[in-house]
Amino acid sequence: MKIALINASPKLKDSASGVILEELKGLLAEHAVTEYGFHTPALPENTEELANQDALVFAFPLYVDGIPSHLLNCMAGLEESFRKSEHPPTVYAVVNCGFYEGLQNRHALHMMRNWCEKSGLVWGRGVGLGGGGMLPGIANVPAGKGPKKNFSAALKQLAESVGTLSGGEDLFTSPNYPRIAYKTAAEIGWRQQAKANGLATKDLFQKR
Amino acid sequence: MKLIIHDLTPEQAETILPKQSGIRVISDNGKIRHCVGCFGCWVKTPGQCVIHDGYETVSALLAQCEELILISRCFYGGFSPFVKNVVDRNISYSLPDFTIRNGEMHHKGRYDNRFKLSVCFYGENMTETERQTAREMVQANTVNLNGTAGEVHFAERAEDFKGVLS
Ligand SMILES: Cc1cc2nc3c(=O)[nH]c(=O)nc-3n(C[C@H](O)[C@H](O)[C@H](O)COP(=O)(O)O)c2cc1C
Repeated sequence: MKIALINASPKLKDSASGVILEELKGLLAEHAVTEYGFHTPALPENTEELANQDALVFAFPLYVDGIPSHLLNCMAGLEESFRKSEHPPTVYAVVNCGFYEGLQNRHALHMMRNWCEKSGLVWGRGVGLGGGGMLPGIANVPAGKGPKKNFSAALKQLAESVGTLSGGEDLFTSPNYPRIAYKTAAEIGWRQQAKANGLATKDLFQKR
Repeated sequence: MKLIIHDLTPEQAETILPKQSGIRVISDNGKIRHCVGCFGCWVKTPGQCVIHDGYETVSALLAQCEELILISRCFYGGFSPFVKNVVDRNISYSLPDFTIRNGEMHHKGRYDNRFKLSVCFYGENMTETERQTAREMVQANTVNLNGTAGEVHFAERAEDFKGVLS
């Protein structure tokens, strides 16, 4: 099976989407996997080959309950590419968000499905992951272990669907540690970043 | 103040947008840059995006408006790339810290303001599924931005909003 893994975070490195695709790549090792980066509104050069793939797997962050604007540009640019395809690829998407609840990604997954309908692509299934802010920090934790338990379980189910080109209900997962722990860790993180930028904690609350 | 963010052509904007005072309009000048996900608007220059292209100050305008009106071509049940770009670039209207709203995690507000969020989606061949996605997403945006719910309108042509906006 020919599978394209598309990292559509605008971040070039240390993205949660990168952590997600790295784990999926391991789960799909028996297939011919090609990696793409949709990091800007301009499509990369090699996208003609996307129409010849069996599956397209997108990973991207949730931005204001929806799809990041640069990815919308890319999707609009691709709308026509699949129309002539005799075997249009099946599309899968993993959306991760900064909030704790994976379910908050559902609207972005609906939009991916609507894009498939408009572009003549086959919709496979989607995954919505909460707690994405922690993923870059736990990148090196082995799959399925500790704070990656729920995360890896969802990706494993997705990989099974991708590997057989089958569809299914969208999967939503929140972290397997408490929401309050996530909230506290994230808020300590903002203060550390502010400090590293030479700001005091109170500066975070500045009004303009 | 009412704030209108739109993706209309200059000709459409001229015929459709109301001309009363007290309205601020954000249009596409073709030079907007995309959010790179750096969170600089929270931890480097809090309250303002670090990219200086003229669109970084919208979050401060959000703090002053009673109503935010988004006029957008409907893309897959969501906003157009330009309108979404302005929204993405201005998340510093909220604070990085979290709060629980309706049982879900959201951000605390930076300002006390609560605007009404109204949206006009236009486009030919919008499907009923796209409309449903759009309604649900705007509802989520309203909670996420701690606003109050305005109306969500749909029309084939942007010109059809003339009556709605005046
Ligand atoms: C402009 C912008 C908007 C965001 N909007 C949301 C949101 O509405 N809900 C949410 O849970 N997280 C939101 N986030 C957080 C990201 O989804 C989160 O940081 C994610 O882990 C980033 O993934 P990446 O590293 O793959 O880019 C937003 C982040 C940015 C920069």
